[in-house]
Amino acid sequence: MTENTPDNSRQQSGDDIQPKLYAQCGKLYPRQVQGFFARLRVIGVLALLGLYYLVPWFSWGDRQAVLFDLPARKFYIFGLTFWPQDFIYLAFLLIIAALALFFFTTLAGRLWCGYACPQTVWTEVFLWIENLVEGDRSKQMKLDKAPMSWRKFYLKTSKHTLWVLFSLFTGFVFVGYFTPIYELWESTLAWTLGPWEAFWIFFYGLATYGNAGWLREKVCIYMCPYARFQSVMFDDDTLVIAYDEDRGDPRGSRKRNIDLKQAGLGDCINCTLCVQVCPTGIDIRDGLQYECIGCAACIDVCDDVMEKMNYEKGLICYTTENARQNKKEKILRLRVIVYAVVMFSMIAGLVYSISQRIPLELDIIRDRNALYRETDEGLVENVYTLKLINMDEVQHEYNLSATGIEGMELILNEKEIILKPGEIVSLVLQVRVDPVNLKNVSTGINFSLESKINPEIKTQRIGKFIGPVIK
Amino acid sequence: MGSDIPKVQKVIAIMWPSFLIAGVATILFFTAFDPVDFLVTTPFADMSRMGAYTVGFFLFWLLTTASSMLTCYFQRPCVFKGQQNNGNSISGHTA
Repeated sequence: MTENTPDNSRQQSGDDIQPKLYAQCGKLYPRQVQGFFARLRVIGVLALLGLYYLVPWFSWGDRQAVLFDLPARKFYIFGLTFWPQDFIYLAFLLIIAALALFFFTTLAGRLWCGYACPQTVWTEVFLWIENLVEGDRSKQMKLDKAPMSWRKFYLKTSKHTLWVLFSLFTGFVFVGYFTPIYELWESTLAWTLGPWEAFWIFFYGLATYGNAGWLREKVCIYMCPYARFQSVMFDDDTLVIAYDEDRGDPRGSRKRNIDLKQAGLGDCINCTLCVQVCPTGIDIRDGLQYECIGCAACIDVCDDVMEKMNYEKGLICYTTENARQNKKEKILRLRVIVYAVVMFSMIAGLVYSISQRIPLELDIIRDRNALYRETDEGLVENVYTLKLINMDEVQHEYNLSATGIEGMELILNEKEIILKPGEIVSLVLQVRVDPVNLKNVSTGINFSLESKINPEIKTQRIGKFIGPVIK
Repeated sequence: MGSDIPKVQKVIAIMWPSFLIAGVATILFFTAFDPVDFLVTTPFADMSRMGAYTVGFFLFWLLTTASSMLTCYFQRPCVFKGQQNNGNSISGHTA
């Protein structure tokens, strides 16, 4: 991996001679690009942002289909309801996401960065807005250089107004994942938002505006941990974007259809378009660099130029280190297989354990104040507090039973145990035992709770019964 | 060399990792503890869960920011009394 040398590239944008058309520290003006990979990215942007903005509006039964109901401490994802007790699934999901990232990085490099990362996706939309208001790259650079005028003021204000509105709507949708979105919309229109909702709409809006409007490539360069460590997942068969030096160099401008050999030139006409379209402002011809997010904008624009020059496409292209050195390429290598196996077995495990999940929780807490009590009839009594949670979507009536000691008697104040969906109930349970049946001071008893309408919904917990042993 | 690092990177190096860890800490903490349960005996008993999560997140961020700042602070080269200042190890020392 070669580092971008500072000498020829850290210049302010858009001035003097050609290869210095971009800057690392000043503002970048990525030129809009059309082509195969740009279309892929547009599809990515539309699909991902479409999902983001639409999903919270869907309903499932009489509730929001996807709602992370933090105030009620419940997550709804279509037909599933998750409780804080299900935290393990979130951990699983994060591990799977990390493995997927490793897998795709090893296989195809920074696919995530170029097509799916929220930073890329939202920046793309902000660039569209910028183009819509201020015009293309050269118009934007001219406008920024020009002194303040009514026209400049008008254009800048319009751009920022659009950005802010879009950001606020993004923040609104974000909060809509945590509070019912239709009610949120109504209270937004009626100007009666709660303080915390309002705060998060502005906070997330501000983050969107700052990251996609101002920071842009700096997020990838300075903030993104993935950008820093992704190279360790690369090997010689990973897809990267590269410039073909052997074919392109020596670079230089030329007239069309001249004899390249005679002129002593390679295929690169040094138009620097690849640099102008780069959202992180690097020159891909300097080799693979850590700033490259793999967006393939330079491929699209260079292919266009090659076509116009009647040269073969692919001077800049997706390739692998092995392909460049004419070595044998291998897609299925050990690390790809290991990532895939671990990832798919974790997905299978997650799906299986969610499908086998029993939507019922039982906790048993022994009364700590008294070890045991003797009743008038000479029985030994222990008192327990049972905590029941019905995590199902429907109401259930449950049967409580216990095994472990002969002739146990369970006494509940309630005649029947009925829990509404999502209800949490605490019950006091007295267990009475004839001391003759006690073999030990402490005996384990197995409580089990079973739904009357669906016997598959049952759970068991072990509690301790303490009492005197009669010798 | 501290002075070669752009200012934006310095700010990000403190604010951003602390933000990420504060997010993780908030999730872990509030998964284990329900704010309604532990705020009930405090003057903040009326605070909604949403409010408690928000305040909790920013408190965590404050703590992790302090930690990040200390890390950055102690990363500066040490210059002891009597040690020659060769002008280049100290360049990161301008606060």
